[in-house]
Amino acid sequence: MTTLRSLSLALCAAGLCALVPAAASASEAEVEAAARAEGQVTVYSFTSRVFRLETAFEEAYPEIDLIPFDISSTEQIARIQAELQAGVTGADVAYLADAPVVTEALVEPGHLEAFVPPAFADRIPDRFETPLLAHRLSTKVLMYNEEAHPDGPPVDTLWALTTEPWRGRVVMVDPSQRGDYLDLLTEIVLQSEAMAAAHEAEFGEPVKRDAGIANAGEQWIVDLLANDVVFVSSTDDVNVAVGALGQENPPLGFTSYSDRRDNEEEGWALQVANEVEPAPGIIYPAFLGILANAPNPNAAKLLITWMMGDESETGGPALAPFYVPGDYLTRTDIPPHQDAIPLDQFRAWRIDPEATAAARRAVADLVLAHQ
Amino acid sequence: MTPASTSRARLGGRSLAPAVLTVGAFALVALLVLAPLAHIGLALATEAGAAALRDVFTGRIATNMLWLPLKHTLLIGLAVTLACVVLGGLLAWLVTMTDMPLRRVIGLLAALPFMIPTFAVALAWTVIFANDRLGEAGIGVLARLGAEPPAWLAWGAVPVTLVLIAHLYAIAYLMIAPALATVGRDLIAAAEITGASRAQVLKGVVFPLVAPALAAAGALCFAEAASSFSAPAILGLPVRFHTLATRAYGAFETGSPERGYALIATMIVVSAALLLLAARARRRGQSFATAAGKGVVRARMALGAWRWPLAIAALALVTATTIVPALALVLSSLSPQSGDVFGAWSWHYWLGAPDAAIARGQPGILRNPELHRAFIVTLAAGLFTGVSALAVGLVVGEAIARLGAGTVATTLRQLAFLPLLIPGLAIGAAFIGLYGALLYGSFALVVIAGVAATLPFAVESVAAARAQIAAELEESARLAGAGPLGVLVGVTLPLAAGKLLAGFVLVFVKMVRDLDLVILLYTPALPLLTVVAFRYASDGFAQFAHAVAVVILVLSIAAHLAAGGFGRAAQPWLAER
Repeated sequence: MTTLRSLSLALCAAGLCALVPAAASASEAEVEAAARAEGQVTVYSFTSRVFRLETAFEEAYPEIDLIPFDISSTEQIARIQAELQAGVTGADVAYLADAPVVTEALVEPGHLEAFVPPAFADRIPDRFETPLLAHRLSTKVLMYNEEAHPDGPPVDTLWALTTEPWRGRVVMVDPSQRGDYLDLLTEIVLQSEAMAAAHEAEFGEPVKRDAGIANAGEQWIVDLLANDVVFVSSTDDVNVAVGALGQENPPLGFTSYSDRRDNEEEGWALQVANEVEPAPGIIYPAFLGILANAPNPNAAKLLITWMMGDESETGGPALAPFYVPGDYLTRTDIPPHQDAIPLDQFRAWRIDPEATAAARRAVADLVLAHQ
Repeated sequence: MTPASTSRARLGGRSLAPAVLTVGAFALVALLVLAPLAHIGLALATEAGAAALRDVFTGRIATNMLWLPLKHTLLIGLAVTLACVVLGGLLAWLVTMTDMPLRRVIGLLAALPFMIPTFAVALAWTVIFANDRLGEAGIGVLARLGAEPPAWLAWGAVPVTLVLIAHLYAIAYLMIAPALATVGRDLIAAAEITGASRAQVLKGVVFPLVAPALAAAGALCFAEAASSFSAPAILGLPVRFHTLATRAYGAFETGSPERGYALIATMIVVSAALLLLAARARRRGQSFATAAGKGVVRARMALGAWRWPLAIAALALVTATTIVPALALVLSSLSPQSGDVFGAWSWHYWLGAPDAAIARGQPGILRNPELHRAFIVTLAAGLFTGVSALAVGLVVGEAIARLGAGTVATTLRQLAFLPLLIPGLAIGAAFIGLYGALLYGSFALVVIAGVAATLPFAVESVAAARAQIAAELEESARLAGAGPLGVLVGVTLPLAAGKLLAGFVLVFVKMVRDLDLVILLYTPALPLLTVVAFRYASDGFAQFAHAVAVVILVLSIAAHLAAGGFGRAAQPWLAER
């Protein structure tokens, strides 16, 4: 395999990339044959569910070795950039969120390329085909413990998290270390009007802004930090803190709605606080892209095609790890999961990658400035 | 200048070898130390770099990004240094120079804390001390027993400092004990004959003789503590307690490497100032050669009524920093919830077949082929880095010794010390930027970065070994007709073998248990145990992470054993009556 890889690299270096069996117009069968010849495909994935994909993919294509890597989106971006600088490509496929940074830092300079499997092109809405193919929609939303609160969420507005009863009892991943959480806070700032309205509705008075604070969203972040919000390093820490069974007085936390799928396995009671005003959090695309100069471009295409599922009702083994409540698949022909809140009733904000990208640096500094 | 060092300088000046040696040493230091530093400097010289410096020093983020973390870093560094030198020094004195009972056991255990990965000690701390800040399921053993520890003991500055002390005092012990062990009976007897009290002997004779070792140990501990990432990351984050290293990590992770470099540059400048002080203290003590041609005859100081109380205190210290964390890790790797170590134990996390209901189908670590590969890669990385670092250390250390006490030697020594002040993460990032085009993803790059990161350890152990060999021995060999190489192989190396071996084990262990350095360097084809453990931990699979930490610990202890770490060569004073 190494020989093959160096051969393709050598051909590419000689300006003969076209000779490498990776021509964009190749038919599906040709791609599959070439992928089998490549024999392996390396994936950077922001979800540990990639390990389940490995087993299923290798059952479908025993001659292709899927090498999975569970790396957060933020770290993938740093890693891909470091690799680029070094002139190497460590993976074929990147499966990652963090749309604002990915668009700006990886897609626009051409480091990460879109691939929409022809077989699915007409079953995926156009807005989910650019700048990269969205595999599904993921979330960062307010979750609570439904064992401790069987009658629904203990709060009805995000502003409640800044009040005394929740002092030191709101858990989230450090937004200075993880992009998706920074995107969540950025969206709250971008939605300042809704935040201001929610404050009036709850407390009957407008938000009092501190000196130097521009809007209601920023004030909420400052208040949350002043209320001793707990930062942790991974979503699983949030899940355990909020969701673990047998707690008398569990904290609230921001995490992925879809982590509810592990409730039974892990002994959690996670549930989304969908009704919270003005919104429970954000919903954003999880992208699939092929790295420029990927050593196994055909296997990458084959994997992405396979990951979009088969023709069975819920998409078969490739989509099984993602056909869970809280993940919203982008394929329009797959029915929504019956245990989940339907997408049109799910109240999370849809992020606008461009607006988020423009605002997130200032929000990151706001968080840093008020710790 | 003593007669010995004059003759050394004279002999050195006559041969061509020192010039070649000096050039070689500077070339190695340039490749391993100056190049990554230049990389950081160049990143700061760009427009983005200037903006980052402005933001970090004067922007609205300055307080939380730079000044508070800097204060925390310095406070932790100083507290850890002081505690380590005092604890390590006292322990070394008790073990080498007194008639304390159980000193053999205590001496053997005292070398071990350094082998437990920092992140594992920090995890062990949470297993025992965590309160309900991360939910009621995350509480530690104490809280489960109904004795919830106060918040300041669960998270933040105090636990970070204590964990680093528990981990690093072993370095101080390992550096101070050899120096104490070579203090001869004749020197002490001479002092006693003149009527000096025990305190006066300690203050007037022993302390000045070991001052260089104390200073070196202090400098190492400070640098290690100040640049540590794992401990503050695990124990500080929940209460938003940050150091420069965690802030720099955050900056790298969120795509502002220039800010990260700005913090690291600040850390290097501030630490370098302290390094200068240490170097001054070391120079003062440098001219004492204690490993002379004569045999060292030593007698142990009688502790009298203090024998047992001191032995019990020392035993408590070494037990609390070795057996307790190791046990916490082992037990929590067997427990259904990490702090619930009295629950129903299970071997699943070690031996279990994949079970979809547990940890998303992860097999027990001993059944996991990735872990087998990681074990071999880690072992190889430790061995190759150990040997290469020692080879580089010999060249640089010899050059320093031959150059005597001049500015050139001091410069070389301080340059070789610099990697300690650069967080491992930054060394990793800089090396990928520098040599990645040729070597990205290669085993060689891991080893080269490892050699750079451990260079101070290698050079220090060579220098410490070298400094105590009286020039008269080498001089005799030269007079007998031996060339520079002959002197090195025939006299210097055998005399220094014990300390060189100890240096090798230090480097090996540091490489095997280090996470910060390799987190950016590893690739799918090149898994390392610490990275695997870290991934498990961040996926919430605490038991697997603890199990891998135990494997790392076993590997480190095995290396220690194989190198004779528990035998006479490593701590010869333990065998003496």
